Amino acid sequence: MLRDKTNSGGPQQFGRRTFLRGVAGIGAAVTLPALLSACGGDEEASAPPKGDPDAPANLTFWTWTTNIEKVVDIWNAKNPTQKVTVSRQAQGEELITKVLTAHRAGNAPDLIHAEYQALPVLITNGVTADLTELAGTIKGEFTEGTWGLTSFGGTTHAIPQDVGPMMLYYRADLFDKHGLTVPKTWDEFAAVARQVRAKDSKAYLATFSSGDPGWFAGLAEQAGANWWANDNGTWSVTINDEPTKKMAAFWGGLVNEGVLSGKPMYTPEWNKEMSDGTLLAWPSAIWGAGVLEGVAPGTKGKWAMTAMPQWDSASATTGYWGGSATAISAKSSQRAQAEKFVKWLNTDPEATSAMIKEGGIYPAAISGQSSPALSAPPAMMPNQPTFYADAAAIAKTARGFSWAPNVNVTYSSYSDLFAKAIADKADFGAAVDQLQAASVADLKKQGFQVKGA
Amino acid sequence: MSRSRLLPTAILVLGALYCVGPVLWVAIASTKGPTELFTTFSFWPSFEGGFWYNLTHLLRYQDGIYLRWALNSLLYAGVGSVLSVAVSVLAGYALAKYRFPGRNVLFYVILAGVLVPQITLAVPQYLLISELGLVNSYWSVLLPSIISPYGIYLARIYATAVVSDELLEAGRIDGAGEYRLAWSVGLPPMLPGMVTLLLLQFVAIWNNFLLPYIMISDGDRFPMTVGLFTMLNVSTSQPVLYSLVVMGVFLSVLPLIALFLFLQRFWRIDMISGGLKG
Amino acid sequence: MTTLSTGRRPARRRGGSAPFVLVAPAVVLLVTFLLVPIGYTVYLSLRAARVTGGGLGRRVEQFVGLENYRGVLTDSAYLDGVVRMLGYGAVVVPVMLGLALLFALLLDTPRVRLTRTTRIGIFLPYAVPGVIASLLWGFMYLPSVSPIRAVLESVNLPAPDFLGPSTVFFSIANIGVWGGVGFNMIVLFTALRGIPGEMYDAARVDGASEIQIALRVKIPLIAPALVMTGIFSIIATLQVFSEPAVIQPLSDSIPSTWVPLMTIYRDAFVNSDIHTAAAASVVLALGTLALSIVVLTVLQRRAFRSDQ
Repeated sequence: MLRDKTNSGGPQQFGRRTFLRGVAGIGAAVTLPALLSACGGDEEASAPPKGDPDAPANLTFWTWTTNIEKVVDIWNAKNPTQKVTVSRQAQGEELITKVLTAHRAGNAPDLIHAEYQALPVLITNGVTADLTELAGTIKGEFTEGTWGLTSFGGTTHAIPQDVGPMMLYYRADLFDKHGLTVPKTWDEFAAVARQVRAKDSKAYLATFSSGDPGWFAGLAEQAGANWWANDNGTWSVTINDEPTKKMAAFWGGLVNEGVLSGKPMYTPEWNKEMSDGTLLAWPSAIWGAGVLEGVAPGTKGKWAMTAMPQWDSASATTGYWGGSATAISAKSSQRAQAEKFVKWLNTDPEATSAMIKEGGIYPAAISGQSSPALSAPPAMMPNQPTFYADAAAIAKTARGFSWAPNVNVTYSSYSDLFAKAIADKADFGAAVDQLQAASVADLKKQGFQVKGA
Repeated sequence: MSRSRLLPTAILVLGALYCVGPVLWVAIASTKGPTELFTTFSFWPSFEGGFWYNLTHLLRYQDGIYLRWALNSLLYAGVGSVLSVAVSVLAGYALAKYRFPGRNVLFYVILAGVLVPQITLAVPQYLLISELGLVNSYWSVLLPSIISPYGIYLARIYATAVVSDELLEAGRIDGAGEYRLAWSVGLPPMLPGMVTLLLLQFVAIWNNFLLPYIMISDGDRFPMTVGLFTMLNVSTSQPVLYSLVVMGVFLSVLPLIALFLFLQRFWRIDMISGGLKG
Repeated sequence: MTTLSTGRRPARRRGGSAPFVLVAPAVVLLVTFLLVPIGYTVYLSLRAARVTGGGLGRRVEQFVGLENYRGVLTDSAYLDGVVRMLGYGAVVVPVMLGLALLFALLLDTPRVRLTRTTRIGIFLPYAVPGVIASLLWGFMYLPSVSPIRAVLESVNLPAPDFLGPSTVFFSIANIGVWGGVGFNMIVLFTALRGIPGEMYDAARVDGASEIQIALRVKIPLIAPALVMTGIFSIIATLQVFSEPAVIQPLSDSIPSTWVPLMTIYRDAFVNSDIHTAAAASVVLALGTLALSIVVLTVLQRRAFRSDQ
């Protein structure tokens, strides 16, 4: 019940719109000469790591990864003179905004946990250190695609921690009971949604949430959208591109028809509906199994996971929802030691295994993805022993797009526009056009050059 | 029972039910274990051991950090309200009993303080506190909590009403110093009002969320409101926490209720009501 | 107490340095934690972060004059929020004070039972932080978990959708009323207890009913208390924030600009545009100030005329 206050989601999920989203976001706009370095700035905090990586240190780490304390304990036991202290105060966007204000005031932590789409905001405000050199030494630990999530214009600003490829969770027991087939395409998804309504007037196959822009962006990625591009300093914004509109029209039609639910996720009501079988499926990400454990503990063993329904059954694709990286503050005086820790945390098998076991995350490192810790399925899914093998196959089909420095504004507009569209039963395609307009207007207002606007 | 007694009583009972209902719901919900919380009828307590489970797990959570938060809340609200009352009473007394240059200006500033929303000031205050090097310290929450424009305003009204000008005047004729007069003539009649002020300020700080949320980044220094909020933040991925937060909320309301019941007899709310016009 | 600033004048002007010493701690703290932040807010409201220099550009904070104010005053979402806030105040303040007055008068009526218990019960919400109160009510409202709806449905009554576009306004107003009625009741009740009993004797001898006594004797006598609770309630409703902000994620009926403080919060803490937020804050504070002065002047004149 109390969940509604938070905008929390899965361990790595982008937060919902909420109260108290980020009391600290202020720094972003106030920072004086913050550079837009998303495309390779010239005045980056690119001082090479100074100092001895083995010198004694006392590092602070702002993060919200579940049970990260236990992972850090392993480090602290091995490196008694280089103590890392975890500070857990907010998550997702909230943490970013707190970091921005702390940075402005000169109190930023040495180590910062950030979601991928939040990185441009940190970078344009000069919060993060240039980690290109460190990245060079561990190049082979991550795929090119993963590096793409933390690199902008040839410089790397963070080391990937985990990824959130999207997949579909469904109630296997209820699918059996109603004789439903697991949908392989979105057309089938729509057909199954209608069957569900016919079989049980209280139940829905799924809900479309106005509260989760990161989820919507993931669906757009799967459909083949590219929302932002930067060409030599000029931004192209194409949120209302054809794939996004096709996807939005699909969901909008079903929601307005009453075939799908239009209630937000991550509310006490959603918990109940996920628990009592009102909702039969959840397009989510790999960390979704952990969330299910939180919101519907009584449904253990009843869920199954499969690939997302496809737009084109010939070429399987999925998007990302969430996923995050570890960055180092540009103002950190213990840079060398911080780099040593970040490298250990995200690439050392002992660390990634511990994060899988304690935090239930899916590591970004290639070695981590074949960790023995992934041999057993998540606690909620004992009925699917091949969970992680299936997930690894799906993860290979994931595609993302690049983010702009005003994702925060775009996301808060999404929540308002789609809430209104759902309430008014209005055309979702029109809402996408309004989202595009709002996002462009904000970029221009901030003084960025925007193509065709 | 005659109608003239029945109807008013019935209305009051209805009003009380309306006000108690949601609080009663937390009490009931706190008896439910993690799997029952969202699946059983919400106005019916559970006797499956959920209460005990929630209580013990809450107290054990992160090595008993909940108690730490409770102590922090007590510290912020306790120390903050005492200091706040002291500052407010001194200023209120001076404003009520002296005419001095700047008096009206000061009063307008206090008025402005009542009118400006706290959210507006939160960020400038944070930047200021960090200039002073106090971010993430107990002081960062205590110092801004001490200043209460509303408290000064009430103290002034109260001092005007209860402190006798004649006694002050007589004291001056006897050659008593101003500070001695303030102590021996001004303070004693203001004591009952100070209890009320203390209570109001205690509640305001105890219930404050935004200020500590911005200022404090170390979990060991969170007050209960912020602590519960952060617990909520992780609860999505950790099933146990959900019902623990409900228990945490329930326990957090109890001390204030106890405080009210205990201090009821000392109340002088009439200082707010303007009933005292001196 | 008469007006806010003039007050009752002290008899004499003297005391040497004493008054300055006594107000010194308050002044230091007021300047540090109130005036300086207010000044800084005004300063920020006249500036903005702009990416300049073409090409990649740099984010530079610069003076933009009244541009942010122009933006705020022409923003239809903000202005809609202002109207909604005024409507909210127009509903919450009379209902809350009306109920508080009703309860206070009933508690003060002779021979009424259960006064002690009900008084504590009605006062209870004061002990619940605003954020938590809103969460509790959010739970009461959500269709599939609402105990209120469960009860209504179990006796086959139509259960309202508390979070629909036409009802959500009143659902949020209800949280405001719930949170404030007890405190105001205690204030008014205390004022009533302060009236000497003999004031009623004449009326009772004349055979007046308790209702007549309440209307003709008690209410006029506690008029100053009503004025004060009214003013503070108005200020509180103009700062309404946590109730709609907490309910927002539960409903598709509340935009992030529902009331001005939500817009300010979004600009400052979500969109990282502290400059627009600062300008909107200044507008809101000035508006509140103006409204308070008007209300105070009007009410006080009436209240104190009848009080004489």
